[in-house]
Amino acid sequence: MFLSQLYLRNFRNYNHEHLSFNQDLNLIIGANAQGKTNLLEAIYLLGTGSSHRTNIDSELIKWNEDKFYLKGELIKDNQKYQLEINSKGRSKEIKVNSNKLQRVSDLVGYLNIVIFSPEDLNLVKGSPSRRRKFINLEISQVSSYYKHLLTEYRKVLKQRNNLLKEIRDNNTPQHMLQVWDQQLVDLGSKIIKRRLEALDKLSILSKLMQRKITDGKETLILKYDTKLQLTSDSKEEIKEKFSQSLKKYRRQEIEHGVTKIGPHRDDISLLVNDINIRKFGSQGQQRTTALAIKLAELEFMKAEIGEYPLLLLDDVFSELDNQRQIQLLQNIQNKIQTFITTTHLDYRQSFDKEYKFFKIKSGSVTEG
Amino acid sequence: MKYYPKPLAELIGQLSKLPGVGPKTAQRLAFYILDMKKNEVNQLGESILEIKGKLTYCSSCHNLTQNDPCYICGDTKRDKAMICVVENVKDIIAMEKTGEYNGVYHVLHGAISPIDGLGPDDIKISDLLTRIEEGVVEEVIIATDPNVEGQATAMYISKLLKPLEIKVTRIAHGLPVGGDLEYADEVTLSKALEGRQEI
Repeated sequence: MFLSQLYLRNFRNYNHEHLSFNQDLNLIIGANAQGKTNLLEAIYLLGTGSSHRTNIDSELIKWNEDKFYLKGELIKDNQKYQLEINSKGRSKEIKVNSNKLQRVSDLVGYLNIVIFSPEDLNLVKGSPSRRRKFINLEISQVSSYYKHLLTEYRKVLKQRNNLLKEIRDNNTPQHMLQVWDQQLVDLGSKIIKRRLEALDKLSILSKLMQRKITDGKETLILKYDTKLQLTSDSKEEIKEKFSQSLKKYRRQEIEHGVTKIGPHRDDISLLVNDINIRKFGSQGQQRTTALAIKLAELEFMKAEIGEYPLLLLDDVFSELDNQRQIQLLQNIQNKIQTFITTTHLDYRQSFDKEYKFFKIKSGSVTEG
Repeated sequence: MKYYPKPLAELIGQLSKLPGVGPKTAQRLAFYILDMKKNEVNQLGESILEIKGKLTYCSSCHNLTQNDPCYICGDTKRDKAMICVVENVKDIIAMEKTGEYNGVYHVLHGAISPIDGLGPDDIKISDLLTRIEEGVVEEVIIATDPNVEGQATAMYISKLLKPLEIKVTRIAHGLPVGGDLEYADEVTLSKALEGRQEI
């Protein structure tokens, strides 16, 4: 799949721009704060219906305007799709081929996207919530049911935490937990099950990528990290262990007024040659690992949806050393439409493939 | 509001408190009422007053009614051995429109929700228990909303009724009828798959 055209009106710092993209590689060049990332954000928005930088839609509207409009032309399986987003800040109207969609989430699945931004370097060394967000987003892009499970789980969690505090303050009897525990376990174990399955696939792919990047010197393993002490990924076992653990932690949970176990507390361990590189890896290793996982993500999406997604590289290309840059380019060659933002041109010569480049200066674009 | 004479501003203010009515709609409605004939306005005012004065809740099922018991509980042709438990009065209307249900109802007026400070004692669960203890009821159908609060309420009631050895069922959720399978959204379809039945 690839995005052939993009039209923006009153989006961030753009007045109106009409761009046509190369099927393979697009370089977006400009100094800082000129609107490079805004361009990627527009593409991301057409893919997912929401921004990767903000939850507040009104921030996306150009200063002193009251709405923005985005239109993209997507080519997928030799079919053309026209995606449109019309937003007044509060309400958003989304159309595919001029048909209005009922829900924003219905947009997911047309234009699939993998984004790699400086923040992703934190994937390895950041907090567990960063890695949970990663796996959640990953599975959500290929399964809207998973997204539904997450929303429901969060609602139950909120209610249950509230109840725990009530019990702690002696306002409610303890047996009221039962009905929430049951739902927590039911939804939570479904979430864990799906995470385990996805991680299984991602782990194999990441291992392969890490080997490639490091010439076989490093073996990467992704492991699901949970307090449940699972011995298998069977649905029954997850459910049972989850229920048992809830009983075990009951007193602590009531004392602190929060739910202490479940998918919202789990993590992903990253082991390189059996060493936890979150704690003990060098910066270079952490970077390599983040890159390997991102490349694995591309393959994972391809396996799940049958096509490669678009790859957006936001300001990270220049952060990789020469060897990793070459490795990355070889991997995406002729199969993944890629958008790279960067401030300088000096490594332009190293692209031995066809590309298009766009110069950005205070919200206006010139094709070079 | 300073552009409006005070009574008009007052009416616009009251109307805009209603759900689904913003300041623009409120203004439009207020001006419309201003243009209405005097007796029409009187009628409107009276119906608004009556809804509070003449309506009460059925002492048996807590449905909204003019007479106690309500027309459903008072109907001798209704099957009193079957109670359908719903969250709101509006749910009864929805169920009645199907014309398929011949039992009686019980309105909880809410669902268990710790965030909103609602526990079993804040909704009409104990009254349900009293009704069942009278010994006529054979089946309880729980038709609370298919969200986490509705589900928690359903589970709570079913646990409560278990020792009484009466049949407790939960309405199914799944595919809309008359639609094509391919157009169903994945969430509904997954739910329907989970609740599949042998034929």
